[in-house]
Amino acid sequence: MADNKQMACMTCEPKGLCQGKGLVTLKEGAWSNNPLAIQVLGICSALAVTNRLENSLVMGAALIFVCVGSNLLVSLLRKVTPYRFRMIAEVAIIATFVILFDQFLKAFYWDMSKQLGPYVGLIITNCIVMGRAEAFALQNPPVLAIVDGVANGLGYAVVLAIIGFFRELLGSGEILGYKVLSEQWYTPNQIMILAPGAFFALGIVIGIFNAIKGPEPEEKK
Amino acid sequence: MKNNVYTLCYAGVLGTVCALLLTAVASLTKPYQDANAEAEKNRNILGVLQVPYPADSSSQALVEIYNDNVRQEQSGELEMFRYVPPADSGRTEIVAIGFEGPGLWGPVKGFLALDKDMRTIRGITFYEQEETPGLGGEIASDWFQEQFIGKSIVDEAGKAGIIISSDEGQAPNKVDAISGATMTCDKVQAMLNEVIKSIVEEKQ
Repeated sequence: MADNKQMACMTCEPKGLCQGKGLVTLKEGAWSNNPLAIQVLGICSALAVTNRLENSLVMGAALIFVCVGSNLLVSLLRKVTPYRFRMIAEVAIIATFVILFDQFLKAFYWDMSKQLGPYVGLIITNCIVMGRAEAFALQNPPVLAIVDGVANGLGYAVVLAIIGFFRELLGSGEILGYKVLSEQWYTPNQIMILAPGAFFALGIVIGIFNAIKGPEPEEKK
Repeated sequence: MKNNVYTLCYAGVLGTVCALLLTAVASLTKPYQDANAEAEKNRNILGVLQVPYPADSSSQALVEIYNDNVRQEQSGELEMFRYVPPADSGRTEIVAIGFEGPGLWGPVKGFLALDKDMRTIRGITFYEQEETPGLGGEIASDWFQEQFIGKSIVDEAGKAGIIISSDEGQAPNKVDAISGATMTCDKVQAMLNEVIKSIVEEKQ
């Protein structure tokens, strides 16, 4: 978070993506500061909806949409929003985008909407979205805020997809509903589609992410 | 003071814009959402009446199958859904009646399917419930619902009511309760008995 100030690009020229700051932002959000695997935010939904890959993908898409939309609006309004009113404004904007997505799902993807149940609505309280609006979009221009929204949304979606992939594969021997592990030689491990499986999978993914990324620079001192 | 006025105006404008946007989207998607809810209800009625239908039917197809096969009747207070299978299928007429009531966490809604004699249960389904997953939520599972098939809604003496209990012993109107879900079972039993009472009163 410390380098947010330095990243705030005052002269957002069209050449490059914000003079390379876009790429830094993208890498931050999706990898080195991954909201789920590194910051361990928003794990409630990550545990709840990842029993099937399809659910994980839709949930990831929802978060990307909400994150981009709210980041963009919060950033556009950042100079006219009264400081002490900013959090209420952020929540109102986030809630609007979440309900938009929820209504869309209910109208056109009824089955998916039923499976995700309350978890789409609960994106409103997802710390990732609020965190990005508060920590990034409030200080940065719209284009960079969109990049940040995409990056963090992607960071969340990718981790969700990884967990969803393995839980569905091991838990029901399927991928996206197609049987890939024949029941003749593989007995689906029920625990993977139940809550404990979610904890195991998330823990392992967080462990692997941190192992690859290495310890925090501060910790080396 | 000036600041307060600005903040209030800002809040008013932002709130209004968000509300307008959501209202517009909600009213635009309403027909689709209603159709989905209707299809969902039809799917459940078709399921409990054991009407064969292709699993991947679209909402429109479901409504059509429903309209072709299910006859909706009113008998006193009771709304009944009747299905008369084709003569060559070797199956008998079946009637579904909706029921609902408070569960432990939220409303529970479902359908009870009865034989033509209006006493023997042919099936049961819960299409809306928010009971604890793994405990009360088991009312949505097959093993719980299959127990009801063949049971009677009256006891040996002809008294109306079904018993969901973990007690030992067998009775024509008793099914096993779910361990760890006493509250849900009691509430489900209460809402079932309410509808059973009106069925028995209606069809003496």
